[in-house]
Amino acid sequence: MNEIELAVTWATLEPTPRQRQRIEARVRRWLDARDSSLAAEWLGLLKVNPIAGLGFAAVAASLMLIATPLSWLAFSLV
Amino acid sequence: MIATTSIRFALLDEWTVSSLFRALFSRFGGDTTSLEEDAILRLVDAARAGDRAAGQCLYRQHVDRVFRVVRGISCSDADAEEVTQDTMLTVLTSLHRYEARTGTRFVAWVMTIAVNTARRRFRRRRPELTDPNDLPRIPDETADLERDADSEKKREALLRALAELDEREQEIVSLRYGSELDATEIARVLPLQPANVRKILERTRVRLGARIEALLNPNGGMS
Repeated sequence: MNEIELAVTWATLEPTPRQRQRIEARVRRWLDARDSSLAAEWLGLLKVNPIAGLGFAAVAASLMLIATPLSWLAFSLV
Repeated sequence: MIATTSIRFALLDEWTVSSLFRALFSRFGGDTTSLEEDAILRLVDAARAGDRAAGQCLYRQHVDRVFRVVRGISCSDADAEEVTQDTMLTVLTSLHRYEARTGTRFVAWVMTIAVNTARRRFRRRRPELTDPNDLPRIPDETADLERDADSEKKREALLRALAELDEREQEIVSLRYGSELDATEIARVLPLQPANVRKILERTRVRLGARIEALLNPNGGMS
């Protein structure tokens, strides 16, 4: 088998269209996640599921509001 | 006279193989046309400056090559997919570290990342691989459906023959035939002396070719 025949055989190792799609989807997802800010992540969550997203946002905001003075109080007592 | 003739043949051979690679991979690899090195370097500069389209173009130019190389040194399609994905992520997020070197194309830098990523991943499993014939062969059902029977037969023979080579031989032939690197570029990727690469490449090509032919024609007949 010469160099050219081997090159022809090697072409069978090409990824299939489905494999290409899978790889590209994962790379794109990772890069998008890396590029997006926290605010963009929250907005994305709201877009996917507005009701649950708003619920999570409300719970997170109230936790921050309650936890901040409580932890301040706890630290001042110690 | 003899030296001139052999140089001419070597150049002709190099040209033929290189154009064949281009024709083959544009046939199998979709609509991506290979770009010249100058164009690639312009894309690298643009991607560094934050141009996402340039990054995407670089991705398309290299993803299939990475997969072909990685598939030659890995045990399954799933492994090759993951290593390709990790390699492309590293390439796209580390472009600021790339420095162009005379005589070495951008693709050689990409392949250095691919080989290192594959080594890190497979080294952890190496003790399991005792006998080349016992290598785990994880079939990808969807992939099988997308290839014709003849291609699948050749592919299996190639993968089986590759599994019988040692790690260094696998890397060298994969870089040559999967990514069209020349001996000097392969020597920089691995790193080895170019003369050693040429010697190993020639020896391995003969062995690999003979083994593939034997696997494709078990009775010794012509295909």
